[in-house]
Amino acid sequence: MGIAICESVRFVVRLNERVRHMIEVQNVTKTFRLSRARKRETENRSRENILTAVSGLSFSCRPGRVFTLLGPNGAGKTTLLRILATMMRPTAGSVRVCGFDTVHQAAEVRRRLGFMTGDTGLYDRLTPTELVRYYADLFGLPRDRYLENRDSLFGRLGIHDFADRRIGKLSSGMKQKVSIARTMIHDPEVVVFDEPTAGLDVITARAIIDLIHDCRDTGKTVIFSTHIMSEVSLVSDDLAVIHRGRLRYCGDFKAFRSQMRSDSLEGEFIRILGETP
Amino acid sequence: MKTILIVFLKEWKDTLRDRRTLIAMIVVPLLLFPLLFGISSRMFKAQVETARSKTLRIGLISYGQASGLREMLLGREDVYLIEELTVDEGKRLVREDSLNGLFVLVPDFDQRIETLRQGALAFYYKSKERHGIEILRMNEILDAYRERLRRKRFDALRLDISLIETLAVEETNLSTQKEQIANMIGGFLPYIFIIFCFMGGMYPAIDLAAGEKERGTLETLLSTPARRFHILMGKFGVVTLVGLGSATISILGLYLGIRTDPDLPQEFLKSILGMFEVRSIIMVFLLLVPLSVLSAGIQLSISMLAKTFKEAQSQLTPLMMVVIVPAFLGLMPGMELSFWTALIPILNVSLATKAIIAGVSNPGLYAVVYFSSGVIAVLSLAFCARFFVREETLFRT
Repeated sequence: MGIAICESVRFVVRLNERVRHMIEVQNVTKTFRLSRARKRETENRSRENILTAVSGLSFSCRPGRVFTLLGPNGAGKTTLLRILATMMRPTAGSVRVCGFDTVHQAAEVRRRLGFMTGDTGLYDRLTPTELVRYYADLFGLPRDRYLENRDSLFGRLGIHDFADRRIGKLSSGMKQKVSIARTMIHDPEVVVFDEPTAGLDVITARAIIDLIHDCRDTGKTVIFSTHIMSEVSLVSDDLAVIHRGRLRYCGDFKAFRSQMRSDSLEGEFIRILGETP
Repeated sequence: MKTILIVFLKEWKDTLRDRRTLIAMIVVPLLLFPLLFGISSRMFKAQVETARSKTLRIGLISYGQASGLREMLLGREDVYLIEELTVDEGKRLVREDSLNGLFVLVPDFDQRIETLRQGALAFYYKSKERHGIEILRMNEILDAYRERLRRKRFDALRLDISLIETLAVEETNLSTQKEQIANMIGGFLPYIFIIFCFMGGMYPAIDLAAGEKERGTLETLLSTPARRFHILMGKFGVVTLVGLGSATISILGLYLGIRTDPDLPQEFLKSILGMFEVRSIIMVFLLLVPLSVLSAGIQLSISMLAKTFKEAQSQLTPLMMVVIVPAFLGLMPGMELSFWTALIPILNVSLATKAIIAGVSNPGLYAVVYFSSGVIAVLSLAFCARFFVREETLFRT
């Protein structure tokens, strides 16, 4: 009896640990071998044919909070998020999502993850219903859960009116809604947004920001990458500033604001980047 | 397996909604041959009829000789004879297409004939493809006149005309009609379906790999729990099936083209249709399967390496040239299925098809062809799979 209680307590503690940090990034480094042409393009003048995209990154993200990854273009944000989403393997270090290792338990990680990028495309020749069904099938959703989630998402996003029209014939705002439904159809515990508002008009971008708030309010772990300052204040609970593959700041966003030495967020960001060796 | 099926069904639906693929896969192979046969046969027939019924304008400079020839020409309704000419004028009129031909006899023509020598005649014409039948008709007139002179000479000498035939040869071709026709079209058939197999699969291969990258759908697809190999297999299945479908439809199109050609001799048509036996069809179809897999493997690998739809297209188009070479070699006379040719991809399919159609029974060599094609098909799949799991390939920007 005593042993059973102890085991139960240990399980709850492990579960709590897992839940406390839905994403744990430890010492992650990712390097790429450069082709000769790529070396010329990146103006890499060193003799080495290796490009370090991210170097020794460590941080963690908690549920019910939005973790913002802020950095200029080419800082390594997308590479890091691709590692989180198991699309890439880290050269060194490890990442755990919902307690699962992204290298050795990649399928388990992906099952719990929603991934959305700004340049996410859709299949023009499918209808929103067919597209969302395709992703639900790939996530192994039972039919009843698929129907329930689909109806709920389509209702909230107002997709029902154009659910059976070919995606190629939809407006960009409609397409973005379909993209959101695709990302959320399996009700993921962790949602990764890689510059999701890039190139969108104000109204569509606002829909994305609302979605991020929704995710946070429903207890999901959100990791959001951007280079747009105004969005940082709108959504962030935690902030990491990344530049040239290294973390320049990582912590509570409120604390960041209180410690700012510049007048504006933008000024502070530039100041931090300026300190980079 | 379930994931492969999910990806396959989605890609299949998506592909069948792509107009370009439908045109390359169904419309072109199905309609090409009936249209080609119909149009070319009708045009050819019309040209031949025009050339046959046309009145020939023939110039004759006879110096009062060879009255027989003159009478012969005047007696024909399809000849308009022009006589008041000089040689230079006549030549000019032939060059200007005002005359179809000019006959110029030597001044002592009759004397030569009477003294049992050769009568001489110059025949001027302008050689052009479209004039072929007209020249043939003028030669027929000369042949008839030659025969008339010969008979006259033999009669005068009281000799039997068969004396000039010193050797009687009786030719018998022991090849079956099936073999003869297979030699004629047997090489052409695989040439057609090999090309269509590659052409049909080209657009889906581009769309499902480079297109997916360019649209930005690949990342979201890779973020699902589906394993990369399963995703690839789903796509691979679609490209293979489209290639196979396209090749099959091209054969069907060829069949329809032959069936609907009214000018094809019935006996020839019967022999061709006789080649479409169930056994031959199954054997050829079994050759098409590894060929389609090979095509899908090569095309998907190239498409996967490309960054954009256009880049994939520009890299895959020259591939057609590479494919045509072994397919064309199969058309060469003297090129036959042997142990070594059975090992050469594409060429082996071409030669084996030719042999199957001709009804040649060689199970050992067919087995080598099936085995080597199967191995190469599996290698192409493995090669493609290797590409699809590599980060460098998937995220090449």
